[in-house]
Amino acid sequence: MTKIFHTGGCQCGAVRYALHAEPTNPHVCHCRMCQKAFGSFFAPLAGVSTKDLKWTRGVPQVFSSSEETERGFCGNCGTPLTFHHVFHHRISVSIGSLDYPERIAPANQYGIEGRMPWFDTLAGLPGKETKLPKGHEAKLVSRQHPDADTIDWHVERSHEGHRQGSSA
Amino acid sequence: MTEAAHTGGCQCGAVRFRAERLGRASICHCRMCQKAFGAFFGPLVTAKGLEWTRGAPKTFQSSNKVKRGFCAECGTPLTYDYGGPVEVAIGAFDNPESAAPTVQVNPAEKLSFFERLHALPVRPPDPKSAAFYADIVSYQHPDHDTVDWRGGPR
Repeated sequence: MTKIFHTGGCQCGAVRYALHAEPTNPHVCHCRMCQKAFGSFFAPLAGVSTKDLKWTRGVPQVFSSSEETERGFCGNCGTPLTFHHVFHHRISVSIGSLDYPERIAPANQYGIEGRMPWFDTLAGLPGKETKLPKGHEAKLVSRQHPDADTIDWHVERSHEGHRQGSSA
Repeated sequence: MTEAAHTGGCQCGAVRFRAERLGRASICHCRMCQKAFGAFFGPLVTAKGLEWTRGAPKTFQSSNKVKRGFCAECGTPLTYDYGGPVEVAIGAFDNPESAAPTVQVNPAEKLSFFERLHALPVRPPDPKSAAFYADIVSYQHPDHDTVDWRGGPR
């Protein structure tokens, strides 16, 4: 096996991958399809040749968001994972799914026509730490997979259905 | 049901929702939001009077305190539910512009390049990609409610 440059995976750890090349063209895409696929303001993506991405645990579920585009996500926890034009030998991974996203700084912006009008104000917004009530800090038990490969990992299984929102 | 309700849903249209009013809109930089969204932060707004109008999200218990909802068919991250009013992914709204964030949560975990994103060079698609997009047939649900929606192949 060739050198592993980066590893990553979904939130629950059911799907893990390794990149056997340094990803190129790291970017954010503001198009409306990327926004909706990520439930966000843009998709952060960087790509490798399809032969350089290996699934090391599980595989993504795939949604064809258009005739020629496949978007991979974890079927158990939903994390958006990949973007692939079916006729290209290239696949992009979501930068946030990498174990060390800070190593892949985006260099460009695409799909500018979809950019949120207030996008450039985000960095200037006031900040606020989440503070758990005193004594509760130790009681938060994360089910998120660690930011590293694991030999054994108990995947927390997802559930159908959702409670109705509170109107409180 | 008010005319001015805020509607939205996942990319494929299997899950659709409606909220009467929106509360605080935020971006959360914590590593759990990053990973759940596959992105740099979680963009969330409190949705008051939230109803599921088509389908319902599947939920993953990301910690003992929080459930995160997503579409089981297309993966779109949809909700953050800590037991109080449910927060909804801003990008999933049909009109995400209406939920401009007012606060950054957990800025201590902010990715180092976050503050420079808006200043990155803007690139049009290369000619090959432009040709690809020129005749693309989208299977994304439109940004409004539909009576019938078949979408594309699953």
